This record gives sequence, C-alpha cells and structure tokens, in this order.
Amino acid sequence: MILKATNVGVKYGAHRALGAFSLGFSPGEIVALIGPNGSGKSTALHALAGLTSPDEGEVVLDGREMRSWKRRSLAKRLSFLPQAPFAPDDMSVEQLVRQGRFAHVGLFQSFRSEDRAVVEWALESTGLEDLADRGLKELSGGERQRAWIAAALAQESGILILDEPTSFLDIGHQVEILELISRLSRERGVTVVIAIHDLNHAMAIADRIALLSRGKLVFEGSPTALSATGLVETTFNVQGEFIRSSGTEAPYLQIRVRR
Amino acid sequence: MRITTSRSTRTAGALVVPLMLSAVLLVAAIFLGVVDLPAKDILAVLIGGGSDDADLIIGTIRIPRIVTGMLAGAHFAVAGLLLQAITRNPLADPTILGISQGATLTVAIFLLFTVYGASADAHTLYSLPLRWLPLVACVGGMSTGFLVFSLAMRNRLSVLRLTLSGIAIGATLHALAMGLVAGWGSARFEIVMQWLSGSLYARSWEHVIFLLPFTVAAAIALPLLHRSIDMLRFEEDVARSFGLSYRLHFSLVLFTACGLAASAVGTVGPLIFVGLVVPHLAHFLAGRHFGMVMPLTVVLGASLVTGADLVGRLLGQAEEIPIGVITALAGAPALLILLRRRS
Repeated sequence: MILKATNVGVKYGAHRALGAFSLGFSPGEIVALIGPNGSGKSTALHALAGLTSPDEGEVVLDGREMRSWKRRSLAKRLSFLPQAPFAPDDMSVEQLVRQGRFAHVGLFQSFRSEDRAVVEWALESTGLEDLADRGLKELSGGERQRAWIAAALAQESGILILDEPTSFLDIGHQVEILELISRLSRERGVTVVIAIHDLNHAMAIADRIALLSRGKLVFEGSPTALSATGLVETTFNVQGEFIRSSGTEAPYLQIRVRR
Repeated sequence: MRITTSRSTRTAGALVVPLMLSAVLLVAAIFLGVVDLPAKDILAVLIGGGSDDADLIIGTIRIPRIVTGMLAGAHFAVAGLLLQAITRNPLADPTILGISQGATLTVAIFLLFTVYGASADAHTLYSLPLRWLPLVACVGGMSTGFLVFSLAMRNRLSVLRLTLSGIAIGATLHALAMGLVAGWGSARFEIVMQWLSGSLYARSWEHVIFLLPFTVAAAIALPLLHRSIDMLRFEEDVARSFGLSYRLHFSLVLFTACGLAASAVGTVGPLIFVGLVVPHLAHFLAGRHFGMVMPLTVVLGASLVTGADLVGRLLGQAEEIPIGVITALAGAPALLILLRRRS
C-alpha cells in the first residue's frame, strides 16, 4: 500500500461529506470510484490528494501522514487533476505541460535538459507533439483533457488522481482518455485513482472498484464481484442486468429504461 | 528552427516599439510644457549647465514630475497585472481591493482634521499640509487592502470572497469619503476632487523618493516570484497539486500589489484605468510570450501616465487637465477594443 486512507471523515459545516472512509492503493493498479452525485467521490479524492485535511482519520502516503508532506515533495509523488480545470486562455499546450515541472524546477532554478525531455515525453505519450504550440482555447475538449493529463504526467509522480476526466467529452474522446490512462498504468506502472460517472467505463478500466453512497464506502472489490452484489442497482436506483462476455472482459451493465 | 527565429524577432519587436514610444514620450515631456523654453536651453540644463530659470523649470519641476508619473504608472500597471492574475478576474485593478477608496477616505479625514486643527483661515491649497498626503493615503490604502485580505482569508482562502469583500468595503469607504467631503464642502472639496482625479501637478523629487523604496522592493521581489505568479493563474487545487504553497505565495503577491498600488495612489491619486487597461494591452502585445508581459506592463504603464500628463499639460495649458481624466477617456475605449478582439 503506497497510499492509504484510514477512517477518513470530512465535514463541510454540519454536512458530513465523507465518513469512516478506508481504502488503500497498491502500485500500478487502477481504482475507480463510483457513486451517485453527492456521494462523496470528489471529497474522497481531495482527501487522498492532500487537498482537504480530514476532520477524522488519516491519509498516509509512503508511510508518512499526509499533513507532514511539503507541497513540493508531495507534487513529485502524486498529481491531481480536478474536474474541468480552469486554464488561462493565453496558455499553449506546451506551456501548460511545463507547469507540471514546477515541483522539480522550483521557484529559482531554470529548466534543465532533463525537464525538457520529460515535457517532450509527456507530450508524446498523450499524442500532443503536433499540438504543442496550440493555445488551449483552440483545442477540442478531448485534446484539452489530454493536455492536462500531460501536465500531470510531467510531474513524474507515480500516482495519478483524476476527478471525472471524461465528463463533457463525446464517446470517442472518452474512450481515448480511458485508453491513455490504462496504457500509462500498464507501461509506466502509474497508480491511478479515478472518479468516473459511466459505470461501464469504470468496469472496463479498473482493477478494483470502490462504490460510495451518501459519504460511505459500501463496496470495494473487482468489477466482477461488484456485478454479483446487486449494490449498483440499489445505490443508483436503476434496473438492469449485467452481461458477462466470454474471456477476460469486465461485465457490462445494461440499464433498463422504462417508457 | 526557422520558426524559433521568427518568433524571437517578433518577441524583440513587441518590446522595442513600446520602448521607443516611451523614449519619444519622455523626450517630448521634457521639451514641451506650459512655459516655452528653447530647446538649446533645455539641452544645456540636461548636460549640467543652463540658466537658473531653465534649471528651475526642468530640474525642479518637469523632470521630477515626469519621473513621479513614470514610477506611479508602472506601479499601477504592475499592481493591476498581479491582481488580474491572482484573482483570475480580467477586470481587477487596485480599486477591487478597496485600495483607492481606502486611500481616498483617509485623505478626506486627514484634510478635515488638519484643516480644522491647524487654523480656521487655512483655505488655500498651498497652506495645507500637502506633503503628508502621500504617506496618509498610502497607509489608508494598505490598511484597506489588508482588511479585505484578512476577511477573504478567514476559514479558507477564496478568491471570489476576496473580490466581493473588496468591492463591498471599497464602496462603503468611498461613500463615507464622499459624504464627508460633501458635508464639509467649500475650498477643501476642490483639493479632494483634484486628488481624486489624479494629478501630477506640483509633484517633486520628494514624491520620487517616496515611491522609490516601493519600486525597488518590487523590482527585487517580482523576479523571485515570477514562477509563482504563473502558478497563481490556476485555481487553488491545480496550483497546489502542481506543488505550490498557494496561500503563502498568494499572500506574497497580493502584498506586493498592495504596496505598489497604495504608494502610487498616495502620490498621484487613484488613476483607475491604468491598472485595468495596461495589463490587457501588454498581454495582447506579448501574445503567448509570458516572459514579455511584465516588462511590457512596466514600460506601457510608465508611458501611458507620462503621455497622459503631457496631453493634459498641453491641452489645458495653465489650467491643466488631470491625468485621471485623460487616462479614463483614452483607456476606456482601448479596453473595449481589446476585450472585443480577445473574444
């Protein structure tokens, strides 16, 4: 376990957004966080990324309490990508990706050849070499999301936490992002924690699924195990059935829409 | 490779033109004025000779006035640039933190007390303790900035709350100042109004010396902060996960902006449009060359105020038109054009 949340509780005023949340992550695995709107996915990700200090419990990264990590050393170990992040409109793809080197370069040093090499690599892995000089505003939604992922990659952090990276994208771009994430995990051994709305995408990409409901973790296990519990149907209040394909592919939920 | 060359030529061009413009303005501002001095007399003063009259006009009146204007212009423009970056609000300028309004109120209170406190017949402009105005206004502006900042920092730092409390507090202080001025009226009303519209009238080396420490401090701080300023243009979560200690750096940059703006408001009055327009113009000229934005902002800020003052002096002759009026008249259309082109 490189990253581990134990009994984490987060309150916003009187509202308890997350309670007794415990979940650990091993190197190189992809864990998908699913759950209805307001179930605490985002809060859990913020706590795991060290952006929200839990009111109860603790988050431990590499054996050290999250609170004791300095911002810069944390950024070299873990990168977080919020949902639909804001970017200054005069920024180019390459400039955004270069910001990912901040933790390595710091305030006073200048870019070294290794930093340039990493930026190049991040652009290449996300297929953005040809778009490097483009302004972020000129990109399609999928390309822009890839640019943000490239910036996170440039951190060389080993742990990637993504908050609904496929929202607002068309299906083609959604699949493109999912394939990119899965390739990173396979080829680079990056640990990925991803909050995602599309259940079937979660099942397809994740090694493990964590299901949240009203701030509580109600299930944690493989996609196949989840399909057998009936929890998806009750948590999301939908009817449907899991279709098991032959071979190694994850089960697929076919939702029934009454009309 | 060819692309890089053409890009760097463009980069150089983007700075050279404003620099030349600023040099031309500087020369024009020295040579042109209400008192018509022959060019050779002025040249004589500049190389260290010349008649006493010319020396008085150039060395004691025109040059300190120009230098004050250039410094104050650069202060306003850089403060605006910093505030627009960290609040992610393209309409931010020193008024958004209540700096100008706080300064106005303290100036009004100061004049009220010193006038009534000193002597009852102190009606004329010159007998008023004008030399203390910069300090008083600067302190007022800084304190308002800090008040707004501390309100925004309660619980969790919020940029939106910073902007909203700045606007609310600014409006309140402005209303108080106006009420005060309207209530006591007469001759002092004019001083406040004159100060409010922004003027370089009778600015001397004293004002330059007042501004310089702030200029030097910012000139040291800003190169050290340049990377955090880039980072602060992102939302808090993004900047923090890139590795920035957001609160610390936000405070440092805000503090710098506050010092620059308050010292400038103190010496020349609130020149609203400079802080608003110049950063947009600099962004427009720099394109994607972030490194150019700051130098361009400094040069353009200094030139705009020098130019506006020159125009005001020449158009108005002895009854000069306040710079604030010129910058607002010229700045507002410029801003509208820039915003149109950007969208």
